[in-house]
Amino acid sequence: MKVMSTESRVNTSPPHGSGWNAAASAIQPLYNLFVAAEEVVLTVDLPYVNQKSVKLKLPTKDSIEVYAETTKRITFHDLGAKHRHGEFTSYHAMIRMPVPVDEKRATKKFKRGLLEVHLPRTK
Amino acid sequence: MSANLSANDGLKIIETGSIPKGAVVINGLPDVGLVGLLAASHIISDLKLREVGAIESELLPPMIVLHGGEPKAPFRIFSGDGLVVVISETVIPGSLIRPLANGLVDWARAKNARLMLSLGGMAVANRQDIDVPKVFAALSAKGLEPQLHGAAEILEEGYIVGAYGLLLRKCAQTGLPAITLLTQSHYNYPDPEAAGAALTAVNRILDLKVDVSELLKRGEEIRLRSKDMMHRTHEEMNKMNKSHEYDLPPLYG
Repeated sequence: MKVMSTESRVNTSPPHGSGWNAAASAIQPLYNLFVAAEEVVLTVDLPYVNQKSVKLKLPTKDSIEVYAETTKRITFHDLGAKHRHGEFTSYHAMIRMPVPVDEKRATKKFKRGLLEVHLPRTK
Repeated sequence: MSANLSANDGLKIIETGSIPKGAVVINGLPDVGLVGLLAASHIISDLKLREVGAIESELLPPMIVLHGGEPKAPFRIFSGDGLVVVISETVIPGSLIRPLANGLVDWARAKNARLMLSLGGMAVANRQDIDVPKVFAALSAKGLEPQLHGAAEILEEGYIVGAYGLLLRKCAQTGLPAITLLTQSHYNYPDPEAAGAALTAVNRILDLKVDVSELLKRGEEIRLRSKDMMHRTHEEMNKMNKSHEYDLPPLYG
């Protein structure tokens, strides 16, 4: 079995319209990356999420993984797509960092359902 | 039972119901934070407006939307209570914006519209730290300021990219009074709170009683349901250099 390279798994572009992974019960959230002189600021839109359930992982040097459980089970039916089957209990995104960052000094805040992560750039 | 009343560079406005004369035309097109689309859609549902027409063009993607099992055009016109509300449930391609601005203003003038009120967003970097988003207004003529009833702050300088920019200019050229309300919002996240702030301003300007609380109560659901629409709108905004709006205003006026 061929193992996928990290490169091909990492999503470099914003999530697309079919970002609903029913097999994994995961929704791909909308996110934004901003590269400033000293840091990279990542924001992720997470409706139906409590701050406590947000988890960040940095599996490789140049990517960040965001995972968050939703406060309730969300079905396609709830969202108006009655012909589609699938339910969602989490968000998941793997986001490529455009420049090297120091993940140990990352700070995050969560307000109005929006996650904001500040990742200092490595010199 | 439909009449093609206006054809402007391939843009067709098809009427399927009666359009009142002297109405206020409210535009809710997909844009920054989907503010206009969310606000206008809420006006339609809260005031129970009837569907009275559609906008069609070869330049729109070949698609329909199903509502209640019926095939509909994604770009439609609703009416009731002296209002005409135009919404698009699909992204408006950049190539359609000029014919749309010309066609819509010509049509509104043919209907003796008294005001064109366009609803949009104005992205701010620290949006999540703002409790009550501020509403700004760009006017087709300076004399319209009293009509704002203090609900919005006047935009004096700057760029407006996209349909609302061209609509405002065309209105100014043809003498149709127009107000473009731009509410502080997220750039590429659906922003129902900003739509609520826009509606509060619309209520004041038009003396309406649209219930904003329902929109805010459903905020999380709306954000999730409009995620895909927001993503497609974001892609189109990038194509038309929407970020130009955040440049400094031109030096000489």
